[in-house]
Amino acid sequence: MNGKDRIARHLNLGISDRTPVMCQLSIGHYFLHSGIDPVEIWFESGAFAEALVNMADRYSFDGVLINLPGRSDVYKNSVKEIQRSHDEIKVIWKNGHYTILPFDDNPHYYTPAGERIFPTFDDIDPEQLYYVEPWDVTEVKFPFFWGFDEHREKSDFFPDYHFDTIRKVKSLAGNRLSVHSEVFSPWSQFLELLNYENALMAIMDDPIKVKVILSQLTEGTIDLAKKQALEGVDAILISSAFAGAGLISRDQYNEFVLPYEKRIISEVRQTSDVPVYTHTCGSIGDRLDLMLETGTRGIDTLDPPPLGTVDLAEAKQFLSGKVFIKGNIDPVNTLLYGSREDIISDVTRRIQTGKPGGGYILSSACSVAPHTPPEHIMLLAELAEQHGKY
Amino acid sequence: MENTEKELFSQLAQAVIEGKQEITVALTNELLTLGTEPKRILDEGLMPGMEVVGIRFRDNIIFVPQVLISARAMKSSLAILEPLLSKSDISGAGTIIIGTVKGDIHDIGKNIVAMMLRSSGFKVVDIGIDAKVEKFLLTAEQEGAQILGMSALLTTTMGYMKTVVTRVRDDKLPYKIMVGGAPISRQFAEQIGADGYARNATEAVAMAKKLMEEFKTAS
Repeated sequence: MNGKDRIARHLNLGISDRTPVMCQLSIGHYFLHSGIDPVEIWFESGAFAEALVNMADRYSFDGVLINLPGRSDVYKNSVKEIQRSHDEIKVIWKNGHYTILPFDDNPHYYTPAGERIFPTFDDIDPEQLYYVEPWDVTEVKFPFFWGFDEHREKSDFFPDYHFDTIRKVKSLAGNRLSVHSEVFSPWSQFLELLNYENALMAIMDDPIKVKVILSQLTEGTIDLAKKQALEGVDAILISSAFAGAGLISRDQYNEFVLPYEKRIISEVRQTSDVPVYTHTCGSIGDRLDLMLETGTRGIDTLDPPPLGTVDLAEAKQFLSGKVFIKGNIDPVNTLLYGSREDIISDVTRRIQTGKPGGGYILSSACSVAPHTPPEHIMLLAELAEQHGKY
Repeated sequence: MENTEKELFSQLAQAVIEGKQEITVALTNELLTLGTEPKRILDEGLMPGMEVVGIRFRDNIIFVPQVLISARAMKSSLAILEPLLSKSDISGAGTIIIGTVKGDIHDIGKNIVAMMLRSSGFKVVDIGIDAKVEKFLLTAEQEGAQILGMSALLTTTMGYMKTVVTRVRDDKLPYKIMVGGAPISRQFAEQIGADGYARNATEAVAMAKKLMEEFKTAS
């Protein structure tokens, strides 16, 4: 049985030959460990696809999550100069702005004054919103456009190259690995657009306007998810990183997250069988029931204490037979800083808890940290072979 | 007059609790017009309000959005009061330099901790994000600080906290050091030699008070 089939069984709440393994790796981990130049990984669809598949093979993962949009080669025309130092790469653009690519972390785009640009809440006219791609080459803008100057109508908002990474990954390994794409939840897009703090205050200042904004972003998200489904992905992940109790209450989740994610999932389901599941970091132990109400097919990360609040046994008992679950291995205290013995103990315990009855993918909670030793990650598949057989 | 002041202090505290920025500013100005000492506006209006916010946040009654608008309200009032307060009024409980460490641009957690510390009587000098050891030390010297507070959200940046701790120890500087942030644990804080760790803003206030006592005892 290959990884694609193995994960498919669990997405459908079944069992397979053994517990599948699939972690999201941080971008910094690809930079440090893939052997591919960070500039190529960040700016080129083909290079990122190769990094995804190479690293999945290296760690014997059963699937990959494509968590960057496809890129256009046109970016090269905008480069003025690339400067490399011992700890970062600086890409200076012809417009005077620049992108810093640390060797071990996510890049960011800056103005000549060294600032990142965010609109204010008052700047936002909801009618002009459709989808905000935080990882566009030039990050968030309002109104949003792609790259440096590519303005597109809502009727044809997503450029064809946006799907190039999916196509490349599928051509490299689509017959043997489970290929998952990503859309940002409207709530995540809103927080990225206003830079977190202003967005969080906005829900107190003008909740009605926020809901109009979220509704607009929902339309674009549905469009993107449907297009990804047409590309033949095996699952779509809704990245809803800021919806845990570390930031918002259950009531606020109910008001600003749930209805929009529910609509996305419902709309995709009407035209496609591709499962849509949800990635929410941090403390979600108090809202698993609300996440279920979105109609999600699976819940990802399930951060354990101290990073989050999810006890895997409790979550398994509550969610079993309803949705698949993925995650719960502490990426910091276990995978990054833990000893080999710590990892074996923690991971074995999780396999024993998550495996019964299927619908469980062994994974780190949230992404694998950049400096996590590769041999620590390799242990996951080894332990799944040893202890995860059905 | 006394009753009027008392009522206005109560209204001011309530405005802070509810994050009503305009009302907070209006009440601050009204109290000043009545001749109320700025220090009393801080101690009897703003700080009791933020104390309630801190307790409700600790007990999961309110969440980050509510805390942020309360902090915004208090900040607007402080902008009026600070030029009128003496240096000792501002730094009554101690002076803390707070920042998100080099390489890290996340600041919500750090901002909430800063706000809670301010509302507990500390003078907090926020050096922002992506802060290098030199910035921590230079600001600490300029401000006569007793405590350095470091925040990190990323596993790639949390290691920089050790750089700051090591520099402080090597240079035999007197500062107490506290750390926090999503990936930080008590164990990590101990490993790098920090004096204190706080899991959240409420714990950070308690830890800062403890470290201030230790600082005074040591000096």
